Parts: sequence; C-alpha cells; structure tokens
Amino acid sequence: MNEKLSLTELQLIIKDSLYLALPGLYWVAAEISEIKENYNGHCYLELVEKHPDEVSIRSRVKAVVWSSRYRFIKSFFENSAGESLREGLRILIRVKIEYHEIYGLSLVINDIDPAFTIGEVALKRQQILKRLGEEGVITMNRDLEFPILPQRIAVISSANAAGYTDFMNHLKGNSFGYVFYTSLFETPMQGKEMESGIINAMERISVHPGEFDLAVIIRGGGSQTDLSWFDNYNVAFYVTQFPIPVITGIGHDKDLSVTDIVAHKSLKTPTAVADFLIECMISAENNLMDLGSEIADKSRLMIEVSKRRIETARSRILPVARNLLLIYRNTINRKKEILESHAKNSLGLLINRVAGFENSLKILDPANVLKRGYSITSINGKIVKECNVLKKDDIIDTRFSDGSINSKVL
Amino acid sequence: MTKKEFSFNQAVNEIEKILREIENGEMDVDRLSVEVKKASELIKQCQKKLKSTEEDINNILKDLE
Repeated sequence: MNEKLSLTELQLIIKDSLYLALPGLYWVAAEISEIKENYNGHCYLELVEKHPDEVSIRSRVKAVVWSSRYRFIKSFFENSAGESLREGLRILIRVKIEYHEIYGLSLVINDIDPAFTIGEVALKRQQILKRLGEEGVITMNRDLEFPILPQRIAVISSANAAGYTDFMNHLKGNSFGYVFYTSLFETPMQGKEMESGIINAMERISVHPGEFDLAVIIRGGGSQTDLSWFDNYNVAFYVTQFPIPVITGIGHDKDLSVTDIVAHKSLKTPTAVADFLIECMISAENNLMDLGSEIADKSRLMIEVSKRRIETARSRILPVARNLLLIYRNTINRKKEILESHAKNSLGLLINRVAGFENSLKILDPANVLKRGYSITSINGKIVKECNVLKKDDIIDTRFSDGSINSKVL
Repeated sequence: MTKKEFSFNQAVNEIEKILREIENGEMDVDRLSVEVKKASELIKQCQKKLKSTEEDINNILKDLE
C-alpha cells in the first residue's frame, strides 16, 4: 500500500463515488440559515436542520442555485408563497448532490415547492395564534376604544423605508388641512433584528403614556413582502398588551400575519393607514356637523310645534267662548219660555174660573130667572118672599121678563 | 313682591286649562271675560317669546350652517 494519491485524485474518487452512489435528484426539507445572490446572479445558501429546541444545529450544508435556474425559482416562489427566500424560512427543494474538488460538497437546487413553505408558515401562524388564544390576550388591543381624533401618532418604522415616506407625505399633505403629530420610533422592519427592534420601539413609546393616541407599524410594500417576520409570538404579544390601539400597514395583500390579526386594525399599505386616519378625522368632523344641524332642525321644529300650539289655542278661544255664551243664552231663553208657558197656563185657569163665576152669576141673574117663567113680586119696592105678609087690598107689583103689572090682593 | 319669571310652558298650560274649562262648560259667566282676557294676554306673551327665541336661535345657528 505504498501507492499515494494526490489530493486531486482523492477528491475525484470522492466525487465519482458520490455520483455513483447518489446519482439522482432528491426532495429535501431544510431551513435557510444564510442566503446571498452574487454579482453574476447565482444564489448561494447555507441550509440547516435544527434540533427541536430551535437553537442548536443538527446538520448544515452549502447549496447553490445557478443563475439560469434562480431567476425562475425566485419569481415562482415569491408569486406562489407571497414570501421571498430569506433567512429563517423553511423550504422544500429538489437537489442534486455535487462534489467539487475545490469547493467541496454542495447541493445544487433545481426546483422548489412553495406549498411546503406556505404550509410551514400557516402552521407556525396557527401555533402562535393558539398560544395567544390560550393566554386570552388575542383581542386585548382590538378591544381598546379607538380615539375619535387619532392625531398623535407613534410611528414604528424605519426612516429610509419607502412606506414611511409614503405615509408621511400622504398624512401631512391631506387636502383637508387636518394636523397630525407624528414621532418616529426607528427599528429595522425585517431581518433578525426586527423582533427586538419593534419590541424596543414599543417599550420606548410606553414610557410616554397619554402622549399618543395610537401607534402604527408600517413598512413599504411591493413584492418584497416577508410577511412571516410578523408571525412572531413576542411581537404579537407586545401588540396585545399595548396600552393604545395599534394599526398595521406592513405591505401585503394576501394573508394576514399574526401581528395584523392581533392589531386593532390592519391595512394593506402605509398609504392606506394614512387614508384611514384622515377618514377618521373627516368622519369626526362630519359627525360634529351632523350634530350641529340636528340641533338646528330640532330647535326649529320645537319652535314650530310651540307656534302651532299657541296658534291653535288662539284660534279656538274666541269660538269656544262664544259657544259657551250661546249655551248660557239658550239656557236663559229656555227658562224664559218655561216661565211664560207656566204663566199662561195659570192665567188660563184663572180665566176659566172667572168664566165659571160669570155663568153662575148669569144663572142667578133675575132677568134670566124671569125668562125661565119665574116672576118677582114686590110691594112698595120690597120683594115679597112669603104670602102671609100681604093683607087684603094691598097693591102688589109683579115683574115678568118683558114687563110688570100691578094687582090688588082680594 | 318680585315679578315672576315668564315661563312659556306654564303659560301654555294655563291657556289650555282655560280653553278646556270653557269647552267643557265648567267656566261660569262671571269669570268668562276675565279668563278669556287673561288667556289672550298669555297668548300674546307666548308669541312674543317664540319670536324672540326664534330670532336668537337663527342668530346662533347662522355660524353653524
């Protein structure tokens, strides 16, 4: 065994052996721990598999996507998963094992399955939501009362982000002249520092309770939407515990991250957040104007009603008074009539009685008696009622109805 | 005795009470002319109050609309 191999010969043997042993393509699930594109468009990665504790590394390998393939894989993945390839992302890739005598072992990626990553992201999101749910905090920020005038705004963003500039321009340039006061709390909006950066910003804002009406977390949109940075338990938990409402505008239009879900309100872009805040001011102003015209309408209505009430009373009092007078007059008239008729009746009775008297008188009238055949005898002007008062030769006067004669008693 | 502050509501209630009494024939003739006179005085005061209130309100609301 004196035969020596040159290093290159050894490497070539390894290369050939590997090729013979693993000639095909393999689907492999791994996490990206490093990724960079170089100037000629190739993409170099470091892939890892972690222990369940998510910290210590179980295995590690280099990988590459050649530029011809990378252009396709990159856009296919971003369009399908709504994510760009980045550190921390778990991916499923189809690889060929290559061994190079200078660069050593590497996996050449020729395909990627975005569905795997979507599932991984969704699963992670679900787990975080479940945990927040179990802790009973999911709706805590949403349950805060939203300010009527959201004018003092704590902005969590990075100063050089396109989204921040859009937000500020849109907000400050509103054509209604509403004034907004903003303070920027700077933090990286993606990458490993994002989590601690956002939490630090929120802590700095909390130092000034009462100085802000709300906080917004904004970031530019476009296709570079690494939404899953916001599927972060710690960030989401801080948002739920935040004492003022949080609005997110972190530039995405497909899914909502956990941070979006626990925030008071989530909008697609920073511009949409600015629009929403302006809308709040408009609606508060409109509401005030509505209240004003309601007061105007109601007080005018009240005046009208009172006017009508008075007018009704005014128009009724005279007829009503006249009517009452008429009633009294009629009563008097009726009484008068009754009195008259009573008087007439009494008079009639009297008249009848008087007539009765007249009859009786008539019956007793001597003339009438004479007519009935009686005669009246008198002597010396005195009526003779009994014959024994007369003596012989007395001259008596006998009166008949049609005259009188004298006779001598024999 | 201090003059009592004019109350629109009290006045209207008083007017309507007089009206009711007349309508229901509860008012005797001795009081009729006195009460009708009182009612019409109150009506005049109410109208005056309404007019001034309306002017006030229109002035106040001018800025609002």
